[in-house]
Amino acid sequence: MKKQLLEQILIKKKHKEEFALITNILTGESFIFEKNKNIEKNFEKYSDEINNYFNNKQNGIIENTDIFIDTYLRPIKVIIVGAVHITQYLLDYAKDLNFEIFIIDPRGYFASEKRFPNMNIINKWPIEAFEEIKTDSSSALIALTHDPKIDDPALKQALKNKFFYIGALGSKTTHLNRCKRLKEAGFKEEEINSIHGPIGIKLGGKSAPEIALSIIAQLVSETYKS
Amino acid sequence: MKKTIDEKILDEANSWIKANHKVALVTVIKTWGSSPRQVGSKMIVNEKGDFSGSVSGGCVESSVIEESLQLIKGNMQFKKMELKVSNENAWEVGLACGGEITIYLEIIN
Repeated sequence: MKKQLLEQILIKKKHKEEFALITNILTGESFIFEKNKNIEKNFEKYSDEINNYFNNKQNGIIENTDIFIDTYLRPIKVIIVGAVHITQYLLDYAKDLNFEIFIIDPRGYFASEKRFPNMNIINKWPIEAFEEIKTDSSSALIALTHDPKIDDPALKQALKNKFFYIGALGSKTTHLNRCKRLKEAGFKEEEINSIHGPIGIKLGGKSAPEIALSIIAQLVSETYKS
Repeated sequence: MKKTIDEKILDEANSWIKANHKVALVTVIKTWGSSPRQVGSKMIVNEKGDFSGSVSGGCVESSVIEESLQLIKGNMQFKKMELKVSNENAWEVGLACGGEITIYLEIIN
């Protein structure tokens, strides 16, 4: 592989682009495939198969050929509402996973650069903050303030956009009250039931790093279900 | 489909190259049976035998490092290699889990 090709791959990853690296393992040639762009001449005859693999987000050797396809997927957008203690540990656990994280908190003391260096922090109320992030059904929401003023608007946005994962921190009572409010706001029962609340898988621990671990575990597990 | 893994190996490969190391990139291109790492898994090796990443759960990495060093020292740019468990080499190399993998080794230059 040429150094320049490696650099191109890294730039594309940095820009969160979706692409595939196609290699002929017999000749050593490789090129970067992108949807709706021209396929390099020597690979043209495999065009259909390459597109097929790419559309199915698959890696592998095209049957009866020497062409290997390595697909690079866009990271999963994870929006965390609440720049709280648990959030700091969530970032630790998530750093080696394919997540692009945004932190929303309207409270200045919480959403400070010092607490979260080099992170996407949006120091605004959720409704305004969501306007800055393009989300869809492959996005996830982790609501951690357990303050209805902050969490509820974010939960509503996530439900409307059909996020594949929505989790909200809070005790069983807090969650029951939350469900009631969402019902009053017109959300259907099945939508409300899709919220993971209290958030996280049952590990037993109650400290910030343990809760963060239980949340990340649940998020990863839901990623592979959807 | 979504996946939550993000191989940071290529970033590391780039920083090794910037530090003037010779780097071989090894990628799992095919698996059979219960191989521990999936297709697309990566590992890098430099001229000193330092390595990062993995192509198995530690079962075949030693021999992959040796192959990579030969590639770095020789004239070849790339190589395909199948790693199977057979009676003769099960002691040294081989996936204890009974899997088989094909890997592709290439020099980054």
